[in-house]
Amino acid sequence: MLRPDINDLLTQTGPGTPMGDLFRRYWQPVLHTEELPEDGCPPVRVKILSERLIAVRTPEGEYGLMDEFCAHRGVSMFFGRVEEGGIRCPYHGWKYNAAGQAVDVPSELDNSDFCKNVKLRSYPLVKVGDILWAYLGDPAAQPPLPSWEFATVPEKQTFTSKRFQECNWLQALEGGIDSSHVTWLHGGGPSGKGLEADPLFAGSRGNHYNKNDLKPFFEVVENDGGLLIGARRNAEDGQYYWRVTPWVLPNFTMVPPRGDHPMHGHFWVPIDDENCWAWSFDYHPARELSVKEVDAMRAGAGVHSENIPGTYRPVANKENDYLIDRDKQRTGELFSGVKGIAIQDSSLQESMGPIVDRTKERLVATDAGIIKARQKLRRAVEALRDHGTEPVGNVPEHQAIRSVAIVLPADQPFVEGIGEAFQARPGVPQTTV
Amino acid sequence: MATPILVSSCARAATSKEAAYRLDYPLAHARSTRVIAFDPAAAEVVRAVSDGPWGQAHFYTASVSGAELITLSGEARPMAAELEHSDSVIMVATNAINARAVAAVGAVCRERSTMTAGLLMTDEGSLAGDTLMAIRPYARILLVPAEHDDLFELLRATRA
Ligand code: FES
Ligand SMILES: [Fe+2]
Repeated sequence: MLRPDINDLLTQTGPGTPMGDLFRRYWQPVLHTEELPEDGCPPVRVKILSERLIAVRTPEGEYGLMDEFCAHRGVSMFFGRVEEGGIRCPYHGWKYNAAGQAVDVPSELDNSDFCKNVKLRSYPLVKVGDILWAYLGDPAAQPPLPSWEFATVPEKQTFTSKRFQECNWLQALEGGIDSSHVTWLHGGGPSGKGLEADPLFAGSRGNHYNKNDLKPFFEVVENDGGLLIGARRNAEDGQYYWRVTPWVLPNFTMVPPRGDHPMHGHFWVPIDDENCWAWSFDYHPARELSVKEVDAMRAGAGVHSENIPGTYRPVANKENDYLIDRDKQRTGELFSGVKGIAIQDSSLQESMGPIVDRTKERLVATDAGIIKARQKLRRAVEALRDHGTEPVGNVPEHQAIRSVAIVLPADQPFVEGIGEAFQARPGVPQTTV
Repeated sequence: MATPILVSSCARAATSKEAAYRLDYPLAHARSTRVIAFDPAAAEVVRAVSDGPWGQAHFYTASVSGAELITLSGEARPMAAELEHSDSVIMVATNAINARAVAAVGAVCRERSTMTAGLLMTDEGSLAGDTLMAIRPYARILLVPAEHDDLFELLRATRA
């Protein structure tokens, strides 16, 4: 159970809200680079943290992210014409540069300085990896550029996708932290083929540990940028198989790896209070992804989703009950009847409603990881609001993190046993079983 | 292809307010949450939290053998009987943990499949390995380290 005022505090991210202010201390993914594929291409609408914006890429290759609506009479700049040095409103021809500054107002005399006072609110938009990132906060507090490993390895070692999810961001994030659902929803319980059926997970020794021990124990450990959530299962000779999921504030999680498969994770980015983007990435720190792997990712295997062509909305969505297959659910071939990890998650998280009423939850002691994460978020929000305290997670030290899968002696704290393995290290393969 | 769903299908309400609708009725509280401190420093933390707005949670320290639980008013009660109708047992410890008592309580919980959570309260970074090892086998979920308000939050979130 969560008090209603705290539920509001954590779920509302629009301008001027305390959680919105927290998010505005971080670079957030806003567009896949493929959405602005070339210089001078059409502009794209962006909604993030409840702000409606327009993203442009000028013929000169400059990226810009600004208020969606023309300063003159408020038409959407989506209909604008990208021109040399910026974008021109189609209604009366006002033109703005990539920083949102009006540079030409045709109705004014040539030498008028009317333009100077007309500026659309704009934000920095930068390309790191396959993603265009934006920073919507106070320029004076702008953190260093994002340095997550998946976004900084060579291009051929990484793949990113995104999908539209119709619920509040916190519901989605909590799914990333709640490791205890994996055995059931994704693993299929005692009878399921679960993970072995997916080409991006198959063949890992870890899958056997997963299946042979359906009641993992958890340890939730404080980490500089957030939490490390370790799930342990029995392995041979009294040893433990550990799967360690890092969470970095506010909205980054990674899934522990399996075998030499690429490792993966997510960003859960608020679009507005009732929708979010689930960003999913896969990368290998030490080798290129194979054509087969990338094809599988594009087709929606692993943590990715099959999207309606030309959109980021999954083919299996709320409108069609996620194509649930009751026969497969009955036989146990698919435990939930829904295909693919991503849609298994989104179907259930969306089913909770746009913003789940957390006053009606009946949490149990083993939900302590989620309880702890909410607590840390709340503290960060309040510390920023009440004391201006800079939150964690927006600096390179906190972003240089990896998930880990490892077998350790029973008497070792996992943080000790893992050592450097959860540090991102360029070119060094992941620690995995 | 799945059966088509009509627009009026009850699961898909039209507005977000309707979609958020939940029947309003009181949810059951947790059943007899037992919070047990396993050393004097942990007892301080437990005592501080014990006069919170709890419905049915009970607070104890453990005897050296673990065979008895001692209420905060000093009354000793047989441990196994005291845990009898409990949904969940929260173990609170610091570096001075009493491993024997933890094992005794843990064994009873395991036998009865009672849910267990462990809070290791300690100054950050100074957690001794043997404390962790003493409690690890018995706590389904462990917070390492737990902070001072974690116990309060956990009790509140689980409606204890
Ligand atoms: S509304 Fe854009 S120029 Fe008039
Ligand atoms: Fe999941």
